[in-house]
Parts: sequence; structure tokens; C-alpha cells
Amino acid sequence: MRKTPLQKLLLHIANLIVIGFILLPMAAVVIGSLLAEKNLAGDTRSIIPGDITFDNFRVIISRGEQRGQVFEQATYLPDNVKKIYHALGNSVVISVSVTFLTLVFASLSAYTVVKLRLRWVAWLLSVNVFARFVPIIVLMIPLYVVFRKLGMLNSIWGVVIALTGFLLPYGILILVPYFASIPKELDESARIDGCTRFTAFLRITLPLSTPALASYGAIVFIIAWNDLLIPLILNNRAEFMTLPVVIASLVGDVFVVFNLMMAICLIALTPSVLLVMLLRKFVVEGLTAGGVKG
Amino acid sequence: MSAGAIDGRGGRAAPAHRFGRDLPPWLLGIVMNVPTLIVLALVLAYPIYYAGYLSLHRVSLVQLRTGVFPFVGLDNYEKVLTDPLFLLSLGNTMIFTAFVVAVEVVAAVAIAILINQQDIWTSRITRFLILLPYAVPPIANGLIWAFIYNGKTGFLNRLLYSVGAIDGPIDWTANPDTALFAVAIPYIWRTLPFAVLLAHAALQGISKELYEAASVDGAGAWHRFRHITLPLLMPVIVVLLVLRTSFAVAVFDEILAITQGGPGDATWVASWYSYRKGFAPPFDIGAGAASAFILALIVAALALVYVKLLYRRVD
Repeated sequence: MRKTPLQKLLLHIANLIVIGFILLPMAAVVIGSLLAEKNLAGDTRSIIPGDITFDNFRVIISRGEQRGQVFEQATYLPDNVKKIYHALGNSVVISVSVTFLTLVFASLSAYTVVKLRLRWVAWLLSVNVFARFVPIIVLMIPLYVVFRKLGMLNSIWGVVIALTGFLLPYGILILVPYFASIPKELDESARIDGCTRFTAFLRITLPLSTPALASYGAIVFIIAWNDLLIPLILNNRAEFMTLPVVIASLVGDVFVVFNLMMAICLIALTPSVLLVMLLRKFVVEGLTAGGVKG
Repeated sequence: MSAGAIDGRGGRAAPAHRFGRDLPPWLLGIVMNVPTLIVLALVLAYPIYYAGYLSLHRVSLVQLRTGVFPFVGLDNYEKVLTDPLFLLSLGNTMIFTAFVVAVEVVAAVAIAILINQQDIWTSRITRFLILLPYAVPPIANGLIWAFIYNGKTGFLNRLLYSVGAIDGPIDWTANPDTALFAVAIPYIWRTLPFAVLLAHAALQGISKELYEAASVDGAGAWHRFRHITLPLLMPVIVVLLVLRTSFAVAVFDEILAITQGGPGDATWVASWYSYRKGFAPPFDIGAGAASAFILALIVAALALVYVKLLYRRVD
């Protein structure tokens, strides 16, 4: 099926359009974060008005102590942005904990689905198929009221538990077919050699499932890192905010300028973009193994 | 089956289990599922039940403080279903979803075919970059597009000025007739990778010999697409339709970041309605829960369709 030069040209053009669309917001956030407010407002027509400056990052990283030339006159930096190190730390702790807990819980459950063939466990699996469709917004109000009663508002662990529960069904659905693809004989011979079911799970099934666990782990990490609604509703004190909540708190704050916003967005998206691009193979496998939220 | 039976069958002396005796399957099943059951009960089962409970009671700040929620029957549902703003939000949700899903399914198939072209070097770049939007936090994506769309200092106007396409500023989200579509583009940008990758995975499963045979028979590119690619992609297209629909009806982050429901009420969608009802003054949590429950029922219907399709595919 050789292509004519015209066909090739059309395909190249189509690729350029798609690449342009993908990179448009990336260009906007990078350029926006390197501009000064006075240039942004002064020249509304150039793509890069005035000189490039790193002052936006300087003011965020120094928590507003170093203003740089861009912020000579400005005296306002939202308190939430001053707590950016807290937010970064919270995001890391929450994402890592959620990833670890969902991997452990999901693999325990998936193993029982595949190996034990109990009726109620099969029923649990179909509950999970439905559960992964539940939109977070439906759970928000009751989660808020329930967690309020349990005294788990404004805590890191409240968010970790909520996100773990929310992402668990998806993990079980990904791991079940993978565990089922591992030959039964391996498990059985391990048990003849003296393993219990549980130690066979630890020594045979889990190590052989490393690729599936990596795929699912990467995806869970990204979703947990990016999630806004759960930490937004469960935590409202600055010391418990995650990066997405800090970003959301800037919405509607008329004093926050776009260049500063773009710098914060770039700080928030860099870790997850790097992770996804480094683990591309695993993420693609995980995504195509089953649907995913969002 | 107990551990002893296995040992007997193996014909060896019963080995000493280093980790103690094997639990019977029913007990092991319960033990291994304890964490999952606790978390699911706390985060999914009970809250869903509780959403239903709250939707049948009057709950607002006063009741939260006293802890007494008076039963009001279906009053909250009546209040929500007769609220023009809720009906508008539902209508907006449907327009948004129909637009997003239609664009995504067509674009996903087209881009999947595009990145599958081994002999086009630009396709390799697209294939590398396609996953990138998936990693961007939705709220950051929303704010970036708020900057892109801004009428005064926005990035899109700058691009258009520099190629001479416009000569006056355009505020891209100010027009109530098009604001919903302006918010749909960023949402599509972020969620398209998933659709493309699913379509691409299905595409790679199609045997090359089919295409070669068709080429020998003189079938052109369009014929090959129409009679081989499209029919074989149909199952994944149907899955995409259901999955993308059930997630797009719950769009939230981009609405919050870009328009906050505005201009006027042009971009109020169902989840934004529930959020504002429950978490903005006057904090009518009962009505918020009722509206969220209606959204949940819509999604549950879609999930049912998905399960039916899935089981048909397995058979």
C-alpha cells in the first residue's frame, strides 16, 4: 500500500494539526509563566510581550519573600500560594499513600476473585464494575457529612481513605484479568512445595504481575495527584491543601494575575507529565486494559 | 479443599508450613477482602445510601449543627425538578456531553489511524505526544485555557493577531451561545488521549493480511476503511460511546476554572448545580443531594448498558 506524495503531504499536515492542538496549552502555560504582569497588560498583541523573566517562580519558591522586579509594586500574594511547600508535600504524601494502599487492597481482592471462586466474591466484582462509574460529585455531599461526623475533615488521612475507596474498583477490574492470565500450575506447584494460598499469592502471583501493578500504580498516582474535588471538599485549611486545591483557590481571585497562575500550574503539572512520559508504556497498557475515570 | 488434601495428592509427607496452616477458602476470601470491604463501605456504599437519605430530608447549615434532619419525603426532588436552573443545567449537560462524545469518537478513530502510519515520520511525534494531556491536572488545564481564552490578555488572541486573523480582541467565553463549546474544547483536549489509545489498541489488533488482501483486490483507502477498519472498530467505538458519555456528564473542574457557570447561567451543568446547591450559600445540602442522585441514576443507566455490552463481548 504505497502512498502517493499527495497522500503523504496530507498525513503530515494532519499530524501537524494534532501536534499543534496538543502543544497549544503547553505553549500558553510555559510562555505565560515567563512573562511580567506589566508586559502582559501593556502589550496585548504579541505572543511574547517584553522580556522573559523567572520572577514568577522566584516569588512562589521564596513564598513571597523575594519579589523580583516583576512584583516591585505588587504586595499581594495569596496565603495559599505562600503555603505551596505544604501543598507540594501533601500532594506527594497523599498520592504515594493512595497508590500504595490501592495496590495492596486491589491485589488482595483480585486474587480472591481469580483463585477462590466464591459466589459472593464474584458478586463483589460486579459491584465494582458499577462502582467505577459513580461520579465523585455524587459522593461529595454524603462524604462531607459522613467524614464530618467521624471527625476526618481537614486531615491528610481523610483524603487518602476517600481516594483509595474511589480508585479501588478500577484497580480490581484491571488486576483480575491479569491474575487470571497467570498459569494455574505455577500456583499449584508452589502449594505442593509447602506454600499456603496466601504465601503463593505473595511469592508467585504478585512478582509475576509486576507489569500490571506498575501500569495500575502509575495511573492511580496520576489520578490521585490530579484530583481536585475530594481534597477541595474535605479540607479547607491551607496546611492540608493539595496543589490542585491551591490552584482552584486562585479562581475568581481578581488580584491574582495570569503570569503567576501559569507559573503555579506549571509547577503542578510538571511532576505528573514527567511521570507519565517516563512510564508511557505502562500507562498506555493500563489505560487500554480497561476504561478509566476522567 | 484443604491443605492436607493437596499434600495427600502430591504423595509427600505433609510439609511444615512456614506461615502456618492454610485457611479454608471461605475464610481466606473474607480475610483478604476485609480492607476492600471496609474502604468501599465507607467511601462508596454508605455515602451512596446516605446521599439517598439526605435527599429525602431537610439538611442545611442549621440541621448540620443540631444533627436533626427532618424527613420531607420527595420535597427536595420536587424542588430540584421544578427549578428552571436545574433543568437548564441538565440540558446544558446533555448538549455538552453530546458534543464532547461525538467529537471525541470521530477524532479518536481518525487520530488512531494517523498514529498507526509507520511510514510517516510525523506520526511518530504524534504517537509520542498523544498521552501528554492525560497527565495534566484538570484544574490546571482549566486555568491554562482561561488564560488562552481571556479577552484582554489571552493567548489565543495573541496567536490570531500575529497571523493577522483578527484585528480586535475577542473574549472567547463571553458569548452565552458559544461558552459551553468553549469549555468543551479544553475538556476534549484532556480526555481525548484515552479515547485515542483505546481505538489505537483495537486498530493494532486488526490483521494486516486483511488489508493486503483488500489491496490486491484493488480496494482504495476509503473502501478499506469503510469495509475493514470501521466494522472491526465497532465494538471499541460502542465502549467509547458509553464510557465517555458516563464520565462527560459529570464534568466539573473545567467549568470551575474557566466560566464558573457563566456568562449568566450559560455553562451551568449538573455537577456544578449539585456543588453550588450543597457547598455555596444557602447550603441546601438536601437539594444538592437530590440533584446529585438524579445524575447518579443517569450514570447508573449508562453503566448498565456498558455491563450488558461487556458481557455480550465476552460471550
